[in-house]
Amino acid sequence: MHDTFNRIMGRTRYVVCRLFLHLRGSEVAPILGILNRASREVIDTDGDSSVIGEQLVRICENLLQIDQNWFSAANEGDVFWDEGEAGDYFNELFTDSAQRYLSEPDFNSTTDANEPLSIPVTNNVVVMITVAYTGEVPELEVDLSNLKALQESLKALINLQYKQKYRAIQVHFSPARLGDELTNDQLLQNFPELIPL
Amino acid sequence: MSINQIWRKFIVIVLAVGLCLTTFGCGGGEQSTYNRTGGVDHRTATPTFINDGKYPVQQATYNDANGEYTLFLLNSTPPAFATTKLQMAQLTDDDIKQGKTTYLQVEKGQPSLYITPEFKIQYVHNVTETRENANGQKETVVVRQESSFWSPFAGALAGQVIGSMLFRPQYYVPPIYQSGGSISGFGGYGSSYERAVSEYQARYNEPPAAVRNQAIFRRTGALRNSETSLNRPANTSSRSTGSGFGSSTLRSSNRSSSVRPPSGSSFGSGSRSSAMRRSFGGFGSRRRR
Repeated sequence: MHDTFNRIMGRTRYVVCRLFLHLRGSEVAPILGILNRASREVIDTDGDSSVIGEQLVRICENLLQIDQNWFSAANEGDVFWDEGEAGDYFNELFTDSAQRYLSEPDFNSTTDANEPLSIPVTNNVVVMITVAYTGEVPELEVDLSNLKALQESLKALINLQYKQKYRAIQVHFSPARLGDELTNDQLLQNFPELIPL
Repeated sequence: MSINQIWRKFIVIVLAVGLCLTTFGCGGGEQSTYNRTGGVDHRTATPTFINDGKYPVQQATYNDANGEYTLFLLNSTPPAFATTKLQMAQLTDDDIKQGKTTYLQVEKGQPSLYITPEFKIQYVHNVTETRENANGQKETVVVRQESSFWSPFAGALAGQVIGSMLFRPQYYVPPIYQSGGSISGFGGYGSSYERAVSEYQARYNEPPAAVRNQAIFRRTGALRNSETSLNRPANTSSRSTGSGFGSSTLRSSNRSSSVRPPSGSSFGSGSRSSAMRRSFGGFGSRRRR
């Protein structure tokens, strides 16, 4: 009712949504390279909106290519008719996503010289994508806890960039890089909403 | 006094109260003019609400740090009025012949500025720089301000807008700032501010200054510092490492509380009955808190 009224009034519809994708398998670690390269490019341009959009497209395309490793997923979101409320929710989601991993890591402690040369390879990678866009995209505004819907949603995320509908984009991933591990216990503890696909 | 008369009076009072309630209830939503805040916070203490009416304009100022217009009006107390949602239109030749000058028309809380082609809006340009604050968050800082003039409807406008469109109030975004000399014309226009911004973006391939200055860039985790020698956390830690980055051009609301009332339009995956939520116009179930 409220929705229809705002639509008739010609107000701008803002949607903020977050997508969790959990990849499992011994061959998922290379995606960390892609994610880190994307984040470096974004940081080099201080978060320029066109660059961050391009990098989101790249991440989505790479995720779509390894859909055999998708293990579980979750999503959530909300519709707003006020830009301020959408901005608040977007910031809230950033903070929430960031507290699911060590967002303030220890840079100072000295490394152990006796560390083995081999590095552990993580079996789990979680990617969290949050976007805010104007307009309506039915592919994203549904329950995405099944494979088909998730594939469609990632394609919709790519298309949104070329429709220039994005107002805000954020990407989080855990673990941070090759050699770090996200264990099954950590996964259960910090990402309780994940639903197996 | 008979029972009948008392009953009639009662009905009259109930109807009057009901009418008052519905009138104010409908009017409330329209009058929400607010200041824009964001990366560069330049909120002024200038009132952002004005009663409906017609006011002659003495002076107009546009600040590109937040896209806010400050107008100095005659016949209004207080004389200053600030808004980010200002529509503009050009006065027709007939109006000018009748001796009309630049004025502000406020209807249902929506201000529209009718201006003569010669009218100059003072344009405050903020030279900005991106710096990193103590929290590792990039923010835009104003280094200095430059002042110039902007005349939206002066000069060669032919081809930009079909003639009659100029005389209807619309949202305008100024063109790219050039230091020295005044600017004329506009970078984008539309029936909504968002449309004006996206037209500007299509033309110049970058968002207008007012939007760009409010962009916020955040990063966390391993991306927080440029250092690469990050230590591996012990496997006993309850959290793994991670990284995150995000950039936003949405403005944030002025509210201090972060608790949102349930909106009924949220969606998502989750085990809670999605069928029940659907009936409220939403299409999903997962809700935090």
